[in-house]
Amino acid sequence: MKPDAPVVLRLTNVSRSFGKIKAVRSVSLEIRKGEVIGLTGENGAGKSTLLKILAGIERPDEGRMEINGKVANFKGPNDALKAGVGVVHQEQSLFTNLTVAENIEHQNIERQGLSRFGIHDWGRINREAQKVLEKIGVDLDSRTRVGDLGFVDRQMVEIARAVSVNPDKSGTPLIILDEPTAVLEQAEVEVLEREIRKLREFASVIFVSHRLDEVLRICDRVVVMRHGELTSDRLTEGVTKDELFRAMVHETPSVAMRSRAAPSKEGQAAIEVRNLTRHGRFDNVSFAVRPGEIVALVGTNGSGRGALARALFGAETFDAGTIEVNGKAVSRWTIAKAVRAGLAYVPAERKVEGMIGGYPGTRNIALVHPEHARVGPFLRPRKMAHIAQQWFNRLGVSPNDIHQPLAQFSGGNQQKVVLAKWLNNPELKVLILDHPLRGLDVGVSQAVNREIRKACDNGTAVVLIPDTIEEALEMADEILVLKDGRVSARHDMRSAGELDVREIVSEMV
Amino acid sequence: MTYRSGTPANVEALDRPDKVAATLVRLRRMVSWHVIAPPLVFFAILLVVGIANPAYLGPFGISIATTSAAPILLVALGQAMVLNTGSIDLSNAAIALFGAIIFALTIPDAGIVAMIAVLIVLTLIGAVNGAILAYTQVPSFALTLGTLGILQTAALVTSGSETIYVSENRDLVTALHTIKVLSVPLTFWIGVFAAIFFWALLRFTIIGQNMTAVGKNESGAILSAVPNKQAKIIAFAISGFASGLAGLAIVAQAGSASASGLGSNLLLPGIAAALVGGTSISGGQANPINVVFGALTVAFVPIAAQALGFGAQAQSLVYGIFIIVIVALTTSRTRGAVIK
Repeated sequence: MKPDAPVVLRLTNVSRSFGKIKAVRSVSLEIRKGEVIGLTGENGAGKSTLLKILAGIERPDEGRMEINGKVANFKGPNDALKAGVGVVHQEQSLFTNLTVAENIEHQNIERQGLSRFGIHDWGRINREAQKVLEKIGVDLDSRTRVGDLGFVDRQMVEIARAVSVNPDKSGTPLIILDEPTAVLEQAEVEVLEREIRKLREFASVIFVSHRLDEVLRICDRVVVMRHGELTSDRLTEGVTKDELFRAMVHETPSVAMRSRAAPSKEGQAAIEVRNLTRHGRFDNVSFAVRPGEIVALVGTNGSGRGALARALFGAETFDAGTIEVNGKAVSRWTIAKAVRAGLAYVPAERKVEGMIGGYPGTRNIALVHPEHARVGPFLRPRKMAHIAQQWFNRLGVSPNDIHQPLAQFSGGNQQKVVLAKWLNNPELKVLILDHPLRGLDVGVSQAVNREIRKACDNGTAVVLIPDTIEEALEMADEILVLKDGRVSARHDMRSAGELDVREIVSEMV
Repeated sequence: MTYRSGTPANVEALDRPDKVAATLVRLRRMVSWHVIAPPLVFFAILLVVGIANPAYLGPFGISIATTSAAPILLVALGQAMVLNTGSIDLSNAAIALFGAIIFALTIPDAGIVAMIAVLIVLTLIGAVNGAILAYTQVPSFALTLGTLGILQTAALVTSGSETIYVSENRDLVTALHTIKVLSVPLTFWIGVFAAIFFWALLRFTIIGQNMTAVGKNESGAILSAVPNKQAKIIAFAISGFASGLAGLAIVAQAGSASASGLGSNLLLPGIAAALVGGTSISGGQANPINVVFGALTVAFVPIAAQALGFGAQAQSLVYGIFIIVIVALTTSRTRGAVIK
């Protein structure tokens, strides 16, 4: 990249708020032709919002965006495509039942006369697509069905699609890769790196990733976001990982602030995992949780902690290793067996997986453990109402109406009921919580955390997947850091002295 | 999360420490539109017909309407239970017809024993439907379309493509049709009792609660340890059983059974009756008692069209328009908006 290369993207004081939350605050950024920029930051730092603005999905509240010297005022994703901004999404957005050529050219078909009176000119479509593939140096037959391709090849098709929309020959395409390596194997990452080196010959690239090693290896410049702001914008040369962590994480080091009497490390574990492996998700994970203990699983989105939690609950399978519940190894583990053994699982997808929205509180609470309100096969409606009312009162669910369908409650109150349905079991042994505070305000968060601690004091073992590292530091007795499915660090909070967020982040990425 | 119109008032009432107000709120919730719409629609049609031609409201009219409604009601009840779990049973009418032929073949020799045995077999056929659905995850629409074809062939083969007359024990089975209480034949009363039974099953049992939960949100139900496979198998078994009763009603009415005779056209009226009875086609919402009114309405629409003087050619047209309007009127729109 030459220093006097033309500017492809220029952002000036771009901001975007959602209600009271400022997702992107006054971001200014310049990208020149042929540059590869690494964009990194913690979850919720504002990266995705910034990408959505560039892709025309969100519109900035303030600020100015110029692409190839022209003011960009995108009204939708199509405008962004026409301007030459191509996004390769983390969740792939290809039509798997169509061919490579159709996927690459489908947005051009109308505009470039590839179709007459609704009849596609297949010869030309295939030729055009093949040209694009050659341009980016990918060896693929454009007539292959995308569904038959492997993951990396699909990613190449996405890149080809992004490149194919290059409006005027003078403009430079801007290719945005949103966490492209999160699901790739090592060899595939190398293929992608080679591809990025080819792309820079005619395009500019924004490479979004949690993995700092890759960012430092692939990119010319690294941009770090924190709380919606750009906190660092430096050439890769000479930057150390530690400097980047400091830009990613808030300066004040959080010290372990547990407010509960720490339970002992002795005694029988309520749940113990040995060398648990699921290919491609988590690898050789071992840990034990004793009654009254909270173990937090910390990691990035692709760290495999969600799949691990589901495997503990019997909701997903595992390939190797053992799970022991109360000292007994489980076999053919299912949700039904897990619940009978006293396990509980609060999923991250509350509305879809955590509850039955059409059912009122009474039925939601009675669904998991109907044995507390039954006579033989019959339910006891009064007993159900009595139990639900007790939980609604104890957790302060508002509105305090046990007969109203749960879908009509706010997220926080829904989460209280989800928690209640699992806590409504005197035999509760293990409570698995996946992002229990997601989307909750401070008041409800405190209520939920209070209930989790109360369950611990009653001898329940807790496996917690927290939203933030601060949450883990506040709640956990032991922190397990997962990176790419493996345990990269363990911190026993009972003996650890000072532990700050930055240290944990460095073990995550 | 937005509250629907009416809800804030409910909340307000509940906040008052006033038991009367709370009871009123519960009453209002019970009398919500989707609960009262099916009977309301039926009585509205009845009123129109009564004004046009009072003869239809007499014992004779009631007898005709409930006789033709009886098999529709029975298959619709099974259909409602299956729809409630989020599936659909396209084979239920074929089970009914196949059952009718088997009844006609076996009742002459074995009488009541045959009735019971055939009902058990048909319940098992339904259960097999459910088991295949639960374990292979073939979509119920495709699966039951397949079993529909299989059962139609079975009906043709077992009957030899001929009409089977109940030669012996004929009175035993036709009594279900000829004995009338309040001008209503026993076959229809069987449907009414079955409806009350299924309603209680859904409302007061763990199995019923599980079935509805699976229909409302299957992944949520699975992660709440609800035995979703069991729920589906039971729903389809119930559909098989109810279809068997419908088969019995067919034989009772005709005294015979054939693959192309009475009852060979029950599938769509059955679905229509379930929907007019307020059953949600996307699952999680069914009130078997209202299906009784749904079946009555569906059976009554042709009679109403005739009473209002529509020609024979226009009957299908009137029927079609009526069904669309009635389902639009009776469908509960409160769910779905939020959940799916």
